[in-house]
Amino acid sequence: MKSKHSMPKPAAPDAPITFASLAEMPPLPVSLGSTLNNKTGTWRYIRPFYEDRTPPCSYACPAGNDVVHYIGALRDGDPEAAWRILVAENPLPGVCGRVCPHPCERECNRREFGGAIAIHALERFLADEAAAHGWTIGAGPARRPERIAIVGSGPAGLSCAYHLARLGYEPTVYEAESQPGGLLRYGIPAYRLPKDVLDREIAAIERLGVRFALNRRLGDNLAWPELAAADAVFLATGQGASRPLQVPGEGAAGVIAGLDFLRRVATGKSLGTVAGSKAIVIGGGNTAIDAARTALRLGASVTVVYRRTEAEMPAIAGEVAEARAEGVAFRFLAAPAQVLAEGGQVRSVRFQEMRLGAPDASGRARPEPVPGHEFILPADWVIVAAGQELDPAPLQGAGIPVEHGRIRAGEAAETGVARVFAGGDAATGEGTVAQAIGSGKRAALAIDHYLRTGSTEGLVLPQGRAAHATPRNAAEAVVRPADLNADYITPEPAPELEAWAPPQMVGNFAEVNAGLAGQAAAREAARCISCGTCISCDTCLIFCPDVAIAHAEGGRYAIAYDYCKGCGICATECPRSALHMEEEGQ
Amino acid sequence: MKKVIMGNHAVSYGVRLARAEVISAYPITPQTQIVEMLSEFCSDGSLNARFIKVESEHSAMAAVVGASSVGARAFTATSSQGLLLMHEMLHWAAGARLPIVLANVNRAVGPGWNVWTDQSDSLSQRDTGWLQIYCESNQEALDTVIQAFKIAETVRLPVMMVLDAFILSHTEEPVDVPAQEQVDAFLPRYETEWRLDPDDPRAFNMLVAPEHYMEMRLQMQQAMDEAMGVVAAVDEEFGAHFGRRYGLVEPYAMEGAETVLLTAGATTSTARVVVDALRSEGHRVGLVKQRLFRPYPAAELRRLLGQAKKVGVIDRNISYGHEGIFASELKAALYDLPSRPQVFDFVVGLGGRDVTPATIRGIADYVLGHDAPGLEPVWWEVKP
Repeated sequence: MKSKHSMPKPAAPDAPITFASLAEMPPLPVSLGSTLNNKTGTWRYIRPFYEDRTPPCSYACPAGNDVVHYIGALRDGDPEAAWRILVAENPLPGVCGRVCPHPCERECNRREFGGAIAIHALERFLADEAAAHGWTIGAGPARRPERIAIVGSGPAGLSCAYHLARLGYEPTVYEAESQPGGLLRYGIPAYRLPKDVLDREIAAIERLGVRFALNRRLGDNLAWPELAAADAVFLATGQGASRPLQVPGEGAAGVIAGLDFLRRVATGKSLGTVAGSKAIVIGGGNTAIDAARTALRLGASVTVVYRRTEAEMPAIAGEVAEARAEGVAFRFLAAPAQVLAEGGQVRSVRFQEMRLGAPDASGRARPEPVPGHEFILPADWVIVAAGQELDPAPLQGAGIPVEHGRIRAGEAAETGVARVFAGGDAATGEGTVAQAIGSGKRAALAIDHYLRTGSTEGLVLPQGRAAHATPRNAAEAVVRPADLNADYITPEPAPELEAWAPPQMVGNFAEVNAGLAGQAAAREAARCISCGTCISCDTCLIFCPDVAIAHAEGGRYAIAYDYCKGCGICATECPRSALHMEEEGQ
Repeated sequence: MKKVIMGNHAVSYGVRLARAEVISAYPITPQTQIVEMLSEFCSDGSLNARFIKVESEHSAMAAVVGASSVGARAFTATSSQGLLLMHEMLHWAAGARLPIVLANVNRAVGPGWNVWTDQSDSLSQRDTGWLQIYCESNQEALDTVIQAFKIAETVRLPVMMVLDAFILSHTEEPVDVPAQEQVDAFLPRYETEWRLDPDDPRAFNMLVAPEHYMEMRLQMQQAMDEAMGVVAAVDEEFGAHFGRRYGLVEPYAMEGAETVLLTAGATTSTARVVVDALRSEGHRVGLVKQRLFRPYPAAELRRLLGQAKKVGVIDRNISYGHEGIFASELKAALYDLPSRPQVFDFVVGLGGRDVTPATIRGIADYVLGHDAPGLEPVWWEVKP
């Protein structure tokens, strides 16, 4: 039936609404304009705002990887875009995906919801995909004329060279050995880092215009005046000197520094007989474990002796577990007292038993001798991995400041000597590949700034965490589990990452850790919560009771503050802490 | 086509014939069968309507308010506590001028818990701005649903049609179920400008300042006044289409009646039998069935009862602290007549106590045997 009443025509938005008679009035209260005339936003005293915040993985990554965004692109089905986000920060994802102890995963908020994302496996997957598909990344468009010398082609030197190339420079990397890679090539065994992975990532850096000057050793056939001709120098010489045991008998044949041992194996140099021998590895760091597992593969029976307990070992825990699974024996709370030799050849080592005392400067319990408790272990080889330090000799005479076995360098890698910067283990002593990559990138940004302005002053680099080559649109606050909306997060278990137990250990340097294949990688990417990062999930838009949230360009949202009442439902519902409330006028 | 059906199902058929588009209800005895059958109609496709399940009667009424606000023909049914829970939304439906039709199966209100019939539930919603029509038979129930939509959509007020629990709701009677084409010819599709439309966004029912509020209430009163004529006109038109008319009130055996009984709902049928018997015995007794309660048909009642000497009102309800509501209202309507009958009030059959021919005969004899009523209502057939 047709109503006899008829809807009044909309009035002008601000026209006063009065009726002089009943006949003029509508039969029910009705707005005469659109509801948009009712600016409910005036009721608001707190306002929502979109702000991406720092996810804990990205915060924890010493290389400054943009973890959330590359995993997001992978989840969205674009692995090439994911790889491009990854390599914008890190030139060595294939390396890091294999050897990094992934501090990102220790901080991952997914730990509270089924287990940390296997970030390292996704990084490795993307690097391997890039190689399989031939994806390449280009150098910076602007060609810069300045000459830059980088000493050392380990991860810090490579990272610095890469980022400088991306900024348009063509640096020269000097390397003492015959092949580039430094510790990556000569210190990390092939079963952890296959050489072809390293080779292809170095080749990609070379393709950006980076020159490698090989067999050039600082203080030997590379002299300071040659370096001084460069507009900037980056020292990334690493920690090549092994600390001695400082016990009697250390000079016997069969006693070898851990890095020397690894280098000899990597370069195929003669070692003497290892197969069938008894090898003792002294130390608790990654070099000790690498040496032990390498010796095992050469046919030795291996015992690692460490003066503290397993809990204090600086080595990556997973590596220790794998070493044990492969057959490496461990003896804790024992320190070498004397190397016993016959005819100049080591035969055994006498150990002093230890116990844990008060914490030392590093915060770890200081080992103390237990008087009267000693034992002797037979040994054909004693591999000493009790720590490395900078070899200061080549730096002498150039005025490079050295303190506590490291080059003294500032936040911007500056040494105080004009044009000379330093980073990586040589300056930081931090000890991981990712940290060296971060250090090299920081130096590259500093050198670029220095070359443009003549100074490192005015350069803003983040303190206490990695610098980013690509500026990131995220506030500094780090998202923790309590910041997430658990109602939206289904606990899902982490994938089982298989370690391949070689049936025939001796002579087998094939890679032991399996990665994640295509579908499994996609599934794992889908588990990522994208902490602090708006992924255009529409939850805010769906929940806004005032329909005050609309789609904006680039998958973002626009809030119509004329109508937003500040109820806060959007920010409360946001699953990933990318939407927040603040008081008006703040 | 004649069917032998319960009163509840007569309502369901009426709703289907009226082509309701949205139905929302929460089950409650004795109403449940109405919406049960409607949900089956929705499910089997014989009724093209959206059936909205809800968690309470308040939400049921809110849902049909929403449906009606966008221009859908909407129906709900309830009883007793369910109707009381709707109370706030009943005001809303009326104030929003929504032509919703509600079937209320009269059921007593607890505690004491009771599922049987009386008029307390519907009469306690007297002032919500809804029309109220009380039905005497299953046929009238079916016909009233169809009439109710037409009335509601004409005056933009909601209509509550009322039937007695069990006596009608669960009792089978022969009912003429009209053909769909006949009903379509009588009741066209509901169309209104007054609907929420995303293409012309409006806010309905927002704040109204004192400057206009009173006028809006006066508009509702005027719509009720208009409704009096519309109920009569629609009933007349219905009679032309279907051959059945009910009136606002129905006089029965009123020629020369000096003593008149006033009833509503199914009790009327019982009273007809008693009045026939009294007439055959020579008593000048008549009967008025009050079908329309809101708007109150004061003029009709004054015309019919103004000449009577005594009226006995059968109130299946009580306004605590006063008297039966039908009697109260009647007395007020007759008050300013120059000569008016004595009004006797009987509170009868609360909570489903049987109202038999003997009950009504007793009431009639009481009125015949007394010159004037007392000040208090007579609680009929209660234990001493």
